[in-house]
Amino acid sequence: MTAATAPAATPRAWRVPRPAGPARLLRIELRRSPMLWMLPLLAALFWLSAYRTAMNNPPFWTIRAATLQANAMLAFAPLLAGVCAWAGSRDGRRGLVDLVSVTAAPRWAAQLATWAAATIWAEALYLAGVAVLYEVTAHQGAWGGPLWWPVAVGVAMIAASCALGFAAGLLLASRFTAPLAALVAFLALAGGAFALQDNVRYAQIWPLSVQGPFPTDSYGIFYPYLPDLAIAQVMFLAGLAAAALGAIGLPAAAGGRWLRGTAAAVTVAGLAAAGTAVGLAGTARVTAHGIVIPALHDAASDRPTPYTPVCGRGPIRVCLHPAYRAYLPAVTAALGPVLGQLAGLPGAPVRVTQVAVTSVQSARDNGIGFGGPVISGRPPVLHLPLSGLTLPGEGNMSAAQFTSSLRQQYGPLIVNDLVGLPSGAAVGIGVTSVNAAPGARGAAQVAVARALDQIMDLTQVGGGSPARSGAGGSADSGVPPRALQVAAASHRFSALPAAVRHAWLLTHLTALRAGRVTLSEIP
Amino acid sequence: MNVEIAGVTRRFGRTQAVAGVDLEAGPGVLGLLGPNGAGKTSLLRMLATVIPPSSGRLRLLGRDPRGYGPRREIRRRLGYLPQHLGYYPGFTVAEFVEYFALLKEMPPGQVPGAVAAAIERTGLGGQARAKLRTLSGGMLRRAGIAQAVVNDPNLLLLDEPTAGLDPEQRVAFRALLRDLGQRATVIVSTHLVEDVGAACGQVALMDAGRIVFHGTPAELTARADGTDAAGDAPLERGYSAVLAAARNGAGARS
Repeated sequence: MTAATAPAATPRAWRVPRPAGPARLLRIELRRSPMLWMLPLLAALFWLSAYRTAMNNPPFWTIRAATLQANAMLAFAPLLAGVCAWAGSRDGRRGLVDLVSVTAAPRWAAQLATWAAATIWAEALYLAGVAVLYEVTAHQGAWGGPLWWPVAVGVAMIAASCALGFAAGLLLASRFTAPLAALVAFLALAGGAFALQDNVRYAQIWPLSVQGPFPTDSYGIFYPYLPDLAIAQVMFLAGLAAAALGAIGLPAAAGGRWLRGTAAAVTVAGLAAAGTAVGLAGTARVTAHGIVIPALHDAASDRPTPYTPVCGRGPIRVCLHPAYRAYLPAVTAALGPVLGQLAGLPGAPVRVTQVAVTSVQSARDNGIGFGGPVISGRPPVLHLPLSGLTLPGEGNMSAAQFTSSLRQQYGPLIVNDLVGLPSGAAVGIGVTSVNAAPGARGAAQVAVARALDQIMDLTQVGGGSPARSGAGGSADSGVPPRALQVAAASHRFSALPAAVRHAWLLTHLTALRAGRVTLSEIP
Repeated sequence: MNVEIAGVTRRFGRTQAVAGVDLEAGPGVLGLLGPNGAGKTSLLRMLATVIPPSSGRLRLLGRDPRGYGPRREIRRRLGYLPQHLGYYPGFTVAEFVEYFALLKEMPPGQVPGAVAAAIERTGLGGQARAKLRTLSGGMLRRAGIAQAVVNDPNLLLLDEPTAGLDPEQRVAFRALLRDLGQRATVIVSTHLVEDVGAACGQVALMDAGRIVFHGTPAELTARADGTDAAGDAPLERGYSAVLAAARNGAGARS
């Protein structure tokens, strides 16, 4: 030590670079933030939870965005809460409270710098991950454009997790605070999931809920993505972050009266925003195109998104939304044989057009059911929803498996629709009941449908579905059971030469559909 | 006067740490002596505005620290080294000192030069880029002193500053104290009477929360005259004599 009096200029290599000031304080915190050490772990978590999952799914912007919001945040939030609790408890753990509390700068400002440094690193890593994932998605030729609201929810959630963890660390400066904060964050996320499963209306605010019960490829394609819920979630998370950060500026040691007043105002505003967001989530309702919150809803987003369908070549044209362009061959291969058998019959579809998923909301619990294919219009068109199906490239689904699955799943429903049996629309795929067409005439429809299924090798699903389970009776009842009569008529009909069968259908299909044909009239 | 204290007390629950202290100090180095538990650290923490007094009047640098504005002004011109210095293990010496320079709201343009000077003055120039976790106890103490003096304070409060320093560094530190004491009020709490003898123009001796002696080191030494007080050095014998007199009920204020 020397007794030099003047702060002499020392041209040494370690001289502190200019400029200094608040930016320099943040720069020091950025260089020494514990979040820096966690970046490799966060990157690994992002890769495992978001990137790898996204790559195991078809390149839809909605799916990728949902993965960013739900999967990445489920992995990030507990860890971020723990790391930020560690940062928040730094002065207490290190015995620096006396030293930092006698500095002139408001304590709150210094604490915010520490929080900001940790948060900036986490946000930077998350946004870098978003950039990579979206870049890859764009290169994979995804239709449309990237969705930013789910990313905004992720950004807000990182800030909120960090703010809540940081406040916990300040409040309880112990080495155990960090793991405790991580555990509490995880339990809070799990609690939100359970509340959502129990259809608690307000639980829609749970930030891992992207569009409630909708499959991730069922919104944002035929209609614009509805950001209502995401806006409420951002408001909720930003409110929580503001409340937590404001609360740490309330103690007397945090600063002067003006500053503490500001902190109080921030806290109140944050709580108000979070509470309002929860209230808004309580008004959410499920529509056919996503979750609508009336107070936040933009009616312009109810208009369909214009698009030019992509169509295949063949006797019956299959036209899909361009987002599903890659699946056109598989869909054509799945439905071609079915539609080929039915071609020329009265009421048989002359074209296949993909439509948005149709849903029905249960008033009681916000639950929805998805409809199947429907033949309608003049000339008849098969309206085919594909959303919610497991597509090729999703998980372990191959194109061949998809083709087979689609034929088995939708083929019987198309036949059902053609012969006048309920096709399953609006009440769930394959769960229609023969009770909708009771009696001998309904049994004739079942018999013909079953025969057509058998001919087209669609028995895997259709043969076992309640719609084809016969029309009552049993072999033990003593009375010739209707099921046996249906089976016999079906067997008879399927054994006919194709030309004869087709000719009979040409002349009798209209009557059959109207329920005017009995089992005995089936050749 | 940079420090004006009148009837200051401080209680921690049932414990009376400081029991009515009156003290005035201007520029110069004041040594605060006393046995363990005498109340030195509590008095320094009040002077550093870490804790408020339970009662009594306190003015620092001509301001009343009870108000936030004046307290902030005081803190800008204050240097404080606590008895138990915490540190951020991941910070370098330069970052640690700069961090506190910024928290002390030094004009941004002055910070780089002030940080460099403080590090040089405490002999840590060679370790400026070393992480604090790699430093020895003595070097950490010097880093603590560097952060305390970085803002060239008008009031410098040092609690056991020479603990852990080697003899060579203690000699250098005393020179630094004398230099700082030419312009500022430096209050040094210590157990080491040789530090007081070498660096302090004034000395105050605390016992049981009270100041039982306040005078020059020579006056403290003189208190041992005619007594059989124990001690290896004259100042130690004066220290022992004053304590013995205070505990026997005889006031020893100079």
